[in-house]
Amino acid sequence: MSNHTNQTIARISEIIIDELKLEDVTPETFDADLDLVDEVGVDSMDLATVALVLRDEYGIRIDEDDYPKLTTVRIIAEYIIDKQNSNE
Amino acid sequence: MSAQHQQYKFSEIIADPRIRERWEKVRRYFFLRESTYDMSNRCNIRCEGCYYFAGEKQFAIENSDENSWRRLFQSEKERGITFAVLAGAEPSLVPHLCKICYQTIPLGAIASNGLKPISREIDYRIHISVWGNDRTSETIRKAPNMLARQIANYKDDPRAVFVYTFTPENIDEARQVTKLLTDNGRQITFNMFSAPVGYQGHLRHTSETLKKTREVMSELLRDYPQTVLFSTYNIVAHTEKSALHELFSCSYPRMNSSMDVGLGRTFRQYRTDLQWDREAACCVPDTDCDDCRHYAAGSALVTARMYRHAIDPVTFSAWLDYVDTYLAVWVRGYDKGVNLCNTFITPPPKN
Ligand code: SF4
Repeated sequence: MSNHTNQTIARISEIIIDELKLEDVTPETFDADLDLVDEVGVDSMDLATVALVLRDEYGIRIDEDDYPKLTTVRIIAEYIIDKQNSNE
Repeated sequence: MSAQHQQYKFSEIIADPRIRERWEKVRRYFFLRESTYDMSNRCNIRCEGCYYFAGEKQFAIENSDENSWRRLFQSEKERGITFAVLAGAEPSLVPHLCKICYQTIPLGAIASNGLKPISREIDYRIHISVWGNDRTSETIRKAPNMLARQIANYKDDPRAVFVYTFTPENIDEARQVTKLLTDNGRQITFNMFSAPVGYQGHLRHTSETLKKTREVMSELLRDYPQTVLFSTYNIVAHTEKSALHELFSCSYPRMNSSMDVGLGRTFRQYRTDLQWDREAACCVPDTDCDDCRHYAAGSALVTARMYRHAIDPVTFSAWLDYVDTYLAVWVRGYDKGVNLCNTFITPPPKN
């Protein structure tokens, strides 16, 4: 996995921990493959909030129809990197 | 505040202290996850255009076994439901079942015609349906002195909010009803008649009646700010020519195939036999989606579209007003703030 992907995963983990006020977890220990809905307890409004912060951070729009696909931090990171690449 | 066309960052939008304060206020309620329950298939009146007596749900056998309902609500709570909407036909006819729900899920609302008072020990919001003045109610609902009886039953009751459904025929009467409720210290919010599937009657709105409704709602919101729980953006969302699904993409299971997040994952609409059907599940089943302007539907649909509205301070303020209104109408103890946006904004499209 590239350094860029690792950095993106770490930053998204940080944003999720911060926005959703998750306790007992740090960006280093956050499992990027946890299912955000079933295992982390993220709901649709949490996801919309995270999507707005990611929009600020990376300057990309997250399509509403794509929300259901964004099931883990790793998948979100790959989604963002794909969007960034297609914007270049 | 004036609309800007530049792209704002979300952090810039919520940098405005009034917006940030309102955002923090409403976001504390994002834990609410609703399901709805038909408590009884009987009603003590029969209204023209009633969506309950359309489609299949009216034929479900009524289960009045308390233990079955207790088990249902317990399992609903375990699956993460935090807000119960009790509807009907008429829930006040089965107060013991409403009480079981309240004991298990402490936040909720009951849709009632208000003719039979619901015991104060059930501390849910109570939505009392009003379809015009007493003369019109008698014609459409076949019940005399409705408003007078509703006001008497819910005098000084902080749970009560009167829900005025605008049809093409009662638009002007909303003035008289709002004044009467103001004089009695009661609160009112607005609903729009939304045709049941196949309804061909005279209550379906037209472009003219939508426009006229918009004008009267605006006048009442301006003249009775303490009585009317509404906002300018509520007026826009419910009186546009396009109905709610076209404007905001309905997220209820009936119109949304995704079972991954949000309402598509959690929402169920139970019938009186305690069964539910994903294909028919929404807060107003058997309503024609192309004509759906229902207040309950809007509460979920507009609220779910936060991302779309976070494009500039004015548009986001309009969305916050909508959510603030929705919470004040549905959640006991939530107080509505002063509306932040008093201009008519166009609902932002999906992309
Ligand atoms: S009637 Fe309204 S809330 Fe129900 S599925 Fe259709 S658009 Fe959605």
